[in-house]
Amino acid sequence: MSKKFKITICSGTACYVLGGAQLMMLEDLMPAEFRDQVEIVGSACLQACRQGGSGQPPFVKINDYLMESASIAKIVDYLRKH
Amino acid sequence: MTYINNAALIKRQLMVRLAKMMFAGTLGTQVDYIPLQQAPRESASVRCCIHHDRAVLRYRLMALLGFAVENEKPEDEIRTLASYVAEVEQKGADRLDDKILTVIDEACSSCVRANYRVTNACRGCVARQCIMNCPKNAIHIENGHAVIDEKICVSCGICAKACPYHSIIYQPIPCEEACPVNAIKQDERGKEKIDESKCIHCGRCQQACPFGAVMERSEIFDVLRMVLNPACKTIAMIAPAIVGQFNTELGKVVTALKKLGFDHVVEVAYGADLTAEKETAEFVERVEHGSVCMTSSCCPAYVEAVNKHISNIKPLVSDTPSPMRLTGEWAGQKWPGAKRIFIGPCVAKRAEARASEHVENVLTFEELGSILVAAGVDVLECEETTPDQVATATGRKFAISGGVAGAVIAAASGRGVKADEKLFNGLDKKAFATLKVVDKVIKNTTFIEVMTCEGGCLHGPGVISNPVVARRFLEKMLKEHP
Repeated sequence: MSKKFKITICSGTACYVLGGAQLMMLEDLMPAEFRDQVEIVGSACLQACRQGGSGQPPFVKINDYLMESASIAKIVDYLRKH
Repeated sequence: MTYINNAALIKRQLMVRLAKMMFAGTLGTQVDYIPLQQAPRESASVRCCIHHDRAVLRYRLMALLGFAVENEKPEDEIRTLASYVAEVEQKGADRLDDKILTVIDEACSSCVRANYRVTNACRGCVARQCIMNCPKNAIHIENGHAVIDEKICVSCGICAKACPYHSIIYQPIPCEEACPVNAIKQDERGKEKIDESKCIHCGRCQQACPFGAVMERSEIFDVLRMVLNPACKTIAMIAPAIVGQFNTELGKVVTALKKLGFDHVVEVAYGADLTAEKETAEFVERVEHGSVCMTSSCCPAYVEAVNKHISNIKPLVSDTPSPMRLTGEWAGQKWPGAKRIFIGPCVAKRAEARASEHVENVLTFEELGSILVAAGVDVLECEETTPDQVATATGRKFAISGGVAGAVIAAASGRGVKADEKLFNGLDKKAFATLKVVDKVIKNTTFIEVMTCEGGCLHGPGVISNPVVARRFLEKMLKEHP
């Protein structure tokens, strides 16, 4: 059965250095209510930083939604609202 | 536990901007634009206004260029950052003398003088134990609530214990609370000052300050200048704690360093292998001569702490040089004339490197990471390369608490000396008290390992990765290369 959310964390160096390192703890810190609904995958650079948009790293993709300046709190908040 | 915080991220963003300009060769003309780019006109300010934010950013850049903010004279306030860049060019490493850490007084929030504060949980009761029991008469009632006069309060805490509603809270000054040696204190204006005669450069105040007011004096400029000069040969000496810093295999980091322009990459864990060997020989010899115990010497903040605060145990500290120094010495013989740059998680290594003839400069992992971002080098996309000098698992374990002691005790056992181990995992006030009398309270034939950072170097102030994540990588590597 596929999970409701697929969270792709960019581990490209720009994202990782500018705040993404902490996102590697997402799996450990995920609230119990979402554990069955999310699949967390690490990824090489998602290229979001290179497309010249205004967003700041770290980037995370939740299904098709691209989140900029991602943090664990922001991700969990997004899951709550969807 | 290290928490991610915005002050640290702003510092890294500034490092990236600075390094980008160095790569583009525009630092001398463009550096004064960085505060404007970082805090543009329409952005929300963190402090009172965008202009204060920018003023603090300017000071951060001064620290990133290697200057001590304390040395700024009143007339220097109108100086441009470009003039500081020119001064770096002119003075070189001489500007780095004296302090390792610098406090930006403009960023320091002059935290509460009194550590106790009455919250709005106060009900202005009849009993008023707080007032009745305050030995300094520092509390009065204002608008139906108790108020502590900060100028009179001596932070004894009796009021907090006495209040039946627990409405009086303890509020620390984060940097002072974090400092294990009382080296950082408020001046008469309430701004923090570091007493260099006490400071052991552990970097905890820097991590603790919620305003990011404490900064290292960076050597990014010096290192990039050397790396960008093809005539200058450079050696990256990577500390054992680098494993897991970029969320990938060590080999890819080696390639990334070479892409940046480093000519050679050496694992300092190789020097740690040498340290383990020499330190064991020293320990066995000391035991044979009747010594009760010996302590490790690889943690520079601990060695500084012994020199400045508990000099009575100096004879117990191993004379064996640290892995950084042994690696530097080895690299200096292998590639004469090449500049040796230690890349690690540590603030205190800066002081050790300045005092050593075997290391030219120091970068932290977050500085390296920021430089890689500026250069557009993505570590994950690199191929794996073997370092020019590799290490064994023994040396690689130096990055975690227990690694040094484990190595020495195992090797000593091979020489017929059965020893106990005692780990000081984190140098706090309690550890200080024990260390001061350690030879009196410890069993015969003990090897004592002291790590200033709790958990070891993976928890150092200059790391990028969460230590939990980094440790998983290190353990995986140790399993694959035992």
